[in-house]
Amino acid sequence: MTTTVSASGLTLRFGGTRALDDVSLRLGRGVTGLLGPNGAGKTTLLRVLATAVPADRGAFTVLGHDPATARGRQELRRNLGYLPQTPGFHPDFTPFEFVDYVAILKELTDRAARHREVRRVLAETDLDDVRGRRIKKLSGGMRQRVALAAALVGDPGFLVLDEPTVGLDPEQRMRFREVIARAGEDRTVLLSTHQTEDVAMLCNRVLVMAGGRIRFAGTPAELTARAAGRVWSSSGRDPGAKAGWRTGTGAFRNVGDPPPGADLLEPTLEDGYLLTLDGELAEVTA
Amino acid sequence: MSWHVAEEDLRAYARGELQPPLLWSADTHLAGCAECRAVLASAWEPGALETAWARLDAELDAPRPRPFERLLLRLGVPDHTARLLAATPVLRRSWLTAVVLVLAMSVLTARAGHSTTLFLALTPLLPLAGVALSYGPVADPTYEMTVVSPLHGFRLLMIRTVAVLTAALALTGLAGLALPGFGLGAFAWLLPALALTATGLALTPRLGPVAAPALAGGGWVVLLLLAEAARNPGDHALAPFTAAGQGVAAGVAALAAGLLFLTRDRFDQSTGGVR
Repeated sequence: MTTTVSASGLTLRFGGTRALDDVSLRLGRGVTGLLGPNGAGKTTLLRVLATAVPADRGAFTVLGHDPATARGRQELRRNLGYLPQTPGFHPDFTPFEFVDYVAILKELTDRAARHREVRRVLAETDLDDVRGRRIKKLSGGMRQRVALAAALVGDPGFLVLDEPTVGLDPEQRMRFREVIARAGEDRTVLLSTHQTEDVAMLCNRVLVMAGGRIRFAGTPAELTARAAGRVWSSSGRDPGAKAGWRTGTGAFRNVGDPPPGADLLEPTLEDGYLLTLDGELAEVTA
Repeated sequence: MSWHVAEEDLRAYARGELQPPLLWSADTHLAGCAECRAVLASAWEPGALETAWARLDAELDAPRPRPFERLLLRLGVPDHTARLLAATPVLRRSWLTAVVLVLAMSVLTARAGHSTTLFLALTPLLPLAGVALSYGPVADPTYEMTVVSPLHGFRLLMIRTVAVLTAALALTGLAGLALPGFGLGAFAWLLPALALTATGLALTPRLGPVAAPALAGGGWVVLLLLAEAARNPGDHALAPFTAAGQGVAAGVAALAAGLLFLTRDRFDQSTGGVR
């Protein structure tokens, strides 16, 4: 893997809380999923890598640009597409006007070239038909696509997407995945999500965060393999399971250390994720 | 067609040098006028022609700017700056209406009470509030995207500040003209307004975009109350509106502007905190 994003020892405190605790990572081209429970530090990590907030300690580079210097930060930002967790819009703008505004922020000042670029990203995100409609009249899914279009303006080499599929219905999520998968073919994409299906279907690498730390870094297959031999079925709740829930068939699916002779099941990415979190499993046991 | 694009303008168009709003007129006209397209096609070298066609293609379905942007373009503001200003939250009809109402009430009060004190006390707060509401995570819904853009945050702040100051000062200046009986004394708000606005901005990197202007505005109110308490029966104006007070305001404005310049890079990163 050719490293495009490299970070070491990133630490950031908010008050008495360590939002990031000595985070080191390496990313290459393709889509990397960032999984973790609420408060794990995912958004903070994305904001630091997007240069929205500086870390208290540690360093990182993106595509060879070091944000510690003003020049490096500006070069990094020229190569950055960022979709924040709650993207804001000027509600009276149309998608065309809003993406045009972001294109200007990205230093595309030539009107003709800028408008060509705006049309390109609107087409890429299937927004051609609504580009003249006010954003406040668009659905949540379309607004997310407007934010993604804004992130894609200028063809950035590093895309940071903070929970882009949250609140989308299955069809919208599928269309979103298509766009992100295309974007990841020749870029570095870091995608924060709560949806393990997003990671399973989109990502060639996955990071799991909890408590401000990276708990796992590897491929989705490696994360799934963590649960091999540790998922079993039972007719009732197994008190020895770290997590367990009743499935649609009425049987319980358990994750943890199986009893001898247990009916083992094929693990999923979600099982591997749950076992990686381990100490934080109480909240998912039902 | 009852008119055609001037040949000189077509040449500028082909070179990519024609500026809005003439550029838009040419774009719209060329889309429907074969005669002008023929002139454009025959007059220049292929490279320039391709550029012109590409420009025309890009413009054909670009939305027409809103009235506010069109006004800025007519005033000579470049189209990209006009779009940045159109996205400035405070430059909206609602804010401008509020400013006009405040000014109208204070002018009426001044004329009825034969005193400009309330007018002079309130008006410096208008640009301070306007600038505070033009930038930052509370006021700007796109703040997070703005902060991580390569356009320097301080530059965007200055563009918006100049626009808001221009609007607020122009309206306040017009209000001052409605108080002819008070002469130049009706314009004693100008230097305090600049001092307050510059101080609010200079304190923002340290205190944040809400606390900084609030502190500057609060300090102004306290200063006026102290001046009122220390006022002698024979004094015509409160101390900040005397010649000496105006000198102090000018000094504060200059100092704050210098501090603001020194801390300009601090506007390049967010002040918000989210896990």
